Amino acid sequence: MKKSMVSRALLFVVAVAALSGAARAQEFPVATRTLKNGMKVLVQPDHSIPNVSLYIFYRIGSRNERPGTTGLSHFFEHMMFNGAKKYGPGELDKVMEANGGSNNAYTTRDVTVYQDWFPRSALGLIFDIEADRIRDLSFDPEKIKSERGVVASERRTSVDANNFGVLDEQLWATAFLAHPYQWPVVGWMSDIEHWTMEDLKQHFAMGYSPSNATMVVTGDVTPEEIFGLCEKTIEPIPAHAPPPAVTTAEPEQPGERRVVVHKYAQLPVLMIGYHVPQTSSADYYALTVLRTVLASGESSRLYQRLVDKDQLALDVSMMQEPAFDATLAVIVAQPKQGAEPAAVEKAVYEELERTKSGLISDQELEKAKNIQLVRFYQQMRTINGRANTIGTYEVFFGDYKKLFDAAKNFAAVTKEDVQRAARTYFGANNRTVATLVPEAEEKAKP
Amino acid sequence: MSRSSICTRFAVWTALVLTFAAAAPAQSLHLPAHEKVVLKNGLTVLLLEKRGVPIVSFVALVKSGATADPVGQEGLASITAGLLRKGTKSRTAQQFAADLDFIGGEFSADAGEDYTKVSAEFLAKDLGRGLDLFSDALLHPVFPQEEADKLLRQSLDGIKAAKDEAQSVLTAYYDGYLFGAHPYARPAGGDEVSLERIRREAIARFYETHYAPGNTILTVAGDFSAAEMRKRLEESLGGWAAKAVPAAALPAAAPAKGRRLLLVDKPDSTQTFFAIGNVGIARTDPDRTAIRLINAIFGGRFTSLLNEELRVESGLTYGAVSYFDSRKAPGPFLMFSYTQNATTAPAMDKALEVLRKLHKDGVTKEQLDSARTYIKGQFPPTIETSMQLANLIATNEFHGLTDSEVNELEARLDAVTPETARQVIAKHFPLENLVFVLIGKAAEIRPAVEKYAAQRDARAIAEPGFWPPPAGGATAPK
Repeated sequence: MKKSMVSRALLFVVAVAALSGAARAQEFPVATRTLKNGMKVLVQPDHSIPNVSLYIFYRIGSRNERPGTTGLSHFFEHMMFNGAKKYGPGELDKVMEANGGSNNAYTTRDVTVYQDWFPRSALGLIFDIEADRIRDLSFDPEKIKSERGVVASERRTSVDANNFGVLDEQLWATAFLAHPYQWPVVGWMSDIEHWTMEDLKQHFAMGYSPSNATMVVTGDVTPEEIFGLCEKTIEPIPAHAPPPAVTTAEPEQPGERRVVVHKYAQLPVLMIGYHVPQTSSADYYALTVLRTVLASGESSRLYQRLVDKDQLALDVSMMQEPAFDATLAVIVAQPKQGAEPAAVEKAVYEELERTKSGLISDQELEKAKNIQLVRFYQQMRTINGRANTIGTYEVFFGDYKKLFDAAKNFAAVTKEDVQRAARTYFGANNRTVATLVPEAEEKAKP
Repeated sequence: MSRSSICTRFAVWTALVLTFAAAAPAQSLHLPAHEKVVLKNGLTVLLLEKRGVPIVSFVALVKSGATADPVGQEGLASITAGLLRKGTKSRTAQQFAADLDFIGGEFSADAGEDYTKVSAEFLAKDLGRGLDLFSDALLHPVFPQEEADKLLRQSLDGIKAAKDEAQSVLTAYYDGYLFGAHPYARPAGGDEVSLERIRREAIARFYETHYAPGNTILTVAGDFSAAEMRKRLEESLGGWAAKAVPAAALPAAAPAKGRRLLLVDKPDSTQTFFAIGNVGIARTDPDRTAIRLINAIFGGRFTSLLNEELRVESGLTYGAVSYFDSRKAPGPFLMFSYTQNATTAPAMDKALEVLRKLHKDGVTKEQLDSARTYIKGQFPPTIETSMQLANLIATNEFHGLTDSEVNELEARLDAVTPETARQVIAKHFPLENLVFVLIGKAAEIRPAVEKYAAQRDARAIAEPGFWPPPAGGATAPK
């Protein structure tokens, strides 16, 4: 059924995982082919259930937008379900569900991803549907109008009605001055209300060339039949120019930035974001180990300090999503009733300082690698998880085969690497601090 | 949480998704073979070998849940479960966390209305250490005072945090308002008042009373040999002393008569979150397969009548769903959606109109065929992992259901006709008798929603508890 934003986010975060020496994942065969129009297709057969997962990753997201049309990638994602030449408005979902399939899609700052989950018997139909909408999407003004309302409702739910959503938006808008990671994926409300048919058509023309996409198919299929279907349905669709490169680089942050949100609430929220390099950077693995030591599990340093020992926070976590460009590693903590966000902040800095002044223990290093190993298996044990993981490696690491190098790359991380990563990225000048301060209702409104 | 920058096409509700977890197969689907053993101490053990992924999953259902909480101490079963890992005879909470994390293990324990669930997952190579941790938490918790205080305070703050997000507390208000005097009305996680009343002694007593091998179903699924696992379980759990657990009767709640409406004021709301429904069905209801099928058509998939009307056709919302939360005794049925303040009544009107149409028009053979194929096609990935399988066979065992739930599902779905569907709709989908719960900005939406019910109640979200207001609620919280 329908995936929530929660589970979608988790899937993505754990997609990036490791193998370590002793327990090695089964090597699974992945067949690949690049179609004449430039779309790369990866197939991983697995006949354990009679089902198929199909993902199409388009390398276009909110980083390819501009002020005035923020949120357009995400809106466009919705429009991809609202009718093409053969399958008109509403028909795509009806036909897919009547044949046992379901679908969803998600948009991030970097990519727009379409997902189909279906029984093997619907294979031909799914390719027909996908080709139809990539080739001949229609733009029905009535549909644009109603879908605008849907997205506005989505924004009210994920931002207005969610204190973490509100604060996260302010954090990124403050941490980035130049780079397009500064605006929210869902878009600012005024942009949601104002983008035009012309904007949508331009977006389609810019981002939806087959050469800008990667398809991953896992499950009860053979590579030959998938390549055969691609030749018939997808390959004839012509390629065109990919989106212009995003050349803006966020300049180095010269000093701490702070932002405060006053909002009706019972509990405060604290977020601290540090600029870190893109996913394909060599420091990715050391940073992942550092995040694991700091915030993964109840034995992690931040949990032990903030939640267990000092009892300042209800919960603490740390996240870094896959990104093409330099991004943020974000620490999120919810201070307890009566705890000052400033006290939580101070304790976080003290813990970060410890990872800079000293080395983590051998035990912590091994623990972090073990945790990554288990996450890897959990992600790879379903056809859906495997499609997402293969695609994530292909798109964000540049090659799905890096999946098989993850073991080696994590094994190579030393305690000194972790310390160096902490010293390089977790300094005061490099951070942005966002605090949600609860207010009584009468003060909350402007 | 939704702190992520990812926007999905639709996000409904994790809780809703879970209630659909057991659906149906595509082509003669069967549960993998598994075996059942009852140990001498009365512990029911179910073992399912599933090779290929080197993971072993454990699920223990203790057949006492939140309905066993003493009145006024709601949340006791949940707190007891949460403390299992927070100190045992041989480990402090910190040692448990360190041992668990070191092997990348996962452990969770919580109580729902009907039972307490303790689950864990480990790599097969760490099975010995994993089972030791799992059985240590289940058999030897000591409930240190300091840890109890800590968890109670965290849970209290957790309720405040949840109330900052309307969607996450809607069902707590709905269950309370719908079930009234029935035990399902009481919040499984407790409230701001009940948690203040829970003492360490009550926690230890709850554990002593309810955690017993004869009151527990243990399922293990994954990468192991059943013969070897039986031996291991005999060694680690065979010594768990048998004892009698008092039987608790759980009557069926009477469906609500007439209409009533609870408006929970959350003054910063830009949207109204609403639930409309009545008492639904028990997990073992003979009509359960037909209901699942009809609900898929009505509000259980993207092209459902509800989502078509409220989202696809009108753009009023990001999502509209309906579901039967089937439990040991009849649980709630509800339609759920959200919309901006100004369109609250139009969206609710549409939901009610779709419900009326379901009663008036019934469903066609074409709709039934589409939903049948949908449920069958979506089923296999719901029993793909060892944890999914462990959960399914454990809950089947709890409810006294057999493998036929899966193995005969296809045939049961195929047996539903438009005529039988009409009877099922008339019997199980409410029409005139409805309970409404809304969380939103009361000052803006109250006038428009008064028309739905003559009996109306109101709460401010910051007031302690859900519904009914806890006794002594005005004074207890700090």
